[in-house]
Amino acid sequence: MTTTTLDPVRDIEQFAADAEQFLSAAVPSRWKEGRGTLTSHEMDELRRQWDFILWEGGYSGLSIPTEYGGRGLGLAEEIVFHVLAGKAQAPDGLARIGKSLVTPMLIALGTEQQRTQYIPSIMNGQEVWCQGFSEPQAGSDLANIQARARRVDGGYLLNGSKTWTSFAQHARRCFVLAQTQPDAGRYRNLSMLLVDMDQPGVSISDIRQISGAVHFAETRFENVFVPDTDRVGDDGDGWKVAMRVLGDERGGIETAARYVEIRSDVDALLDVLGDDPTFASLLRDLDIRTELVHWQLMKVADLEAAGDEGALARAGAVLKLMWSELWQDVTRLGVAHAPVTQQKHWSYQYLESRAVTIYGGSSEIQRNILAERVLGLPK
Amino acid sequence: MTTTEQQKPATGYAMTTLPNEYGLMGAEGIADLVKRATSHAPIATYVEEPEPPISWAAISDAGWDLVGIVEDESCATARDLVAIAKAWGYGSIPQPLLPSVLAKRWSAAAREVNGPVTFALPLGDGALVPFGAVDGIMVASTLGAPGGAVTEVPTGEIDGLDLVGRGIHAPAATAFTADAGREVALVLAADVLGGAERLLADSVTFVNEREQFGRPVGSFQAVKHKLATATVDVEAADTALIWGAQQQVNAFRGALFAVDRCIDAAEVAVHVHGGLGFTWEVGLHFPLRKMLSVRRIIERMERDHA
Repeated sequence: MTTTTLDPVRDIEQFAADAEQFLSAAVPSRWKEGRGTLTSHEMDELRRQWDFILWEGGYSGLSIPTEYGGRGLGLAEEIVFHVLAGKAQAPDGLARIGKSLVTPMLIALGTEQQRTQYIPSIMNGQEVWCQGFSEPQAGSDLANIQARARRVDGGYLLNGSKTWTSFAQHARRCFVLAQTQPDAGRYRNLSMLLVDMDQPGVSISDIRQISGAVHFAETRFENVFVPDTDRVGDDGDGWKVAMRVLGDERGGIETAARYVEIRSDVDALLDVLGDDPTFASLLRDLDIRTELVHWQLMKVADLEAAGDEGALARAGAVLKLMWSELWQDVTRLGVAHAPVTQQKHWSYQYLESRAVTIYGGSSEIQRNILAERVLGLPK
Repeated sequence: MTTTEQQKPATGYAMTTLPNEYGLMGAEGIADLVKRATSHAPIATYVEEPEPPISWAAISDAGWDLVGIVEDESCATARDLVAIAKAWGYGSIPQPLLPSVLAKRWSAAAREVNGPVTFALPLGDGALVPFGAVDGIMVASTLGAPGGAVTEVPTGEIDGLDLVGRGIHAPAATAFTADAGREVALVLAADVLGGAERLLADSVTFVNEREQFGRPVGSFQAVKHKLATATVDVEAADTALIWGAQQQVNAFRGALFAVDRCIDAAEVAVHVHGGLGFTWEVGLHFPLRKMLSVRRIIERMERDHA
């Protein structure tokens, strides 16, 4: 029997070379060089355009199967591309939630109608999605969702508040975890609904963070109709669907983008503090940990490709702790010791980085997951 | 030697983190050997016994001491040796397998010897000969460069720190080329990473069984989070050795970083064992002692080759 095997080494080399070439031509110079002079509206426009540019160039949905408009490649290519995009100073598109959370969710658990209706407009950047999970009373205790979707003819009427909603201001759609069976027990009372944001009853108010940036919003739903066909999974299966989404949220693609940002911060510190023996051992440690974020990610991709589920579970479960706690250590050194001329950058980075051990599953939740699901310690 | 010519693809994106077939099979074979010989009995039940649970004959009859020798294109890479050393370290078996593998890989004179061979590692002040206390073991004078000889172990004081290593102190270290030195550092670190994995696994078993306040201590979040952090440490150590094995320039700092994370994890292991953790007889100190010994050696080797 003869089989043709692709040479993964040569293929990914070629992929990286092509991607580098694409990025050097495609990243808008207004973004690369003039970012500081743009208004936030102009920046949003460029970010939206960037999603379309990626789609046109064939770099949207790299790990999404071709039948859904992706490239059908693996996590390894996603990582390579995100690292190269970061180095090329490409904008962060607005389609992130749609691509990395909604699309995999719909492919795994959605209906064929949902896939054909929603995935193409995620891939080409036309429709931005946001994530309606957290609530004022449901943070780490996500199962304590209070938003309610009451059964009506043909669907549900949604009422409630969501908070820490990224991209809400830009989003055409939101995937919302809501109670649909108030009498059922915890974990069995929720459903996952795909909500059209462009209708009366949806209101959004910005949340300003300690850095001054506005990355999140509070979103309110008042008697918002959601048809049955926009429920993912069965009524009552919302928790199961949410767990699948959270696995993706803590996974690889996010970490690749973080690696590039942390690398850039550590390089900046090496520039200004690298000659000072006081910081030598700390900088050495930060530098190594930064590279290990990247290598940990490559290890995760390799283990996934090799199908080594046990090793993959452990290697993947440490990713967020590794990068989030590292970045806080980096910004803390910067804000304390980098020259005053760089104060604006470092105070912003420091204050921004306080959030990363909280959102997307706090460090405590991450450690619970490691202890209970990876090590098998008793609940 | 071509063994340490590392892959250097144009962009570096094709670098794999996994061992090749040789390393995977080797690590699996060693893990199996260790498991069959010890049934994962507590380390303390065999470390100090005169007869180790695996005999040297069992090792050399299967050719394990020759696993690093370069014969053709399918020879072991540094990454493969890291995988094999980690599997071996899990057992904390007091036999000179890893020094013999390295000596026979990097010294023609050592390859002429049928029995175990070791070398002398720099301590800054004098040297440590791992398994120098083993009868009949030979010491390679040079690793990595042509020439060199093997000699009998000089008489010296027994090393009291790494008791698995059964070492003795010697006046001078073996001459390592930078290539050989890097690989020795990685293999020493991978050996102790195996020990850290063992301590983590033993700790999980212990906290699942040990009850206080009417429930397993492993159900308390304070204990869980310590072990979760130890898991991050062990993962980071593993990745640091992959990094060091695949990029020569990072070998020493990767190895040293890995050993530090192993020490962090071992301290957690001792702590979560409570009052038993710091007893001699439970034996958590055996892998920890090796970590402390190896840390000192790698730091010295890095300085010597800086």
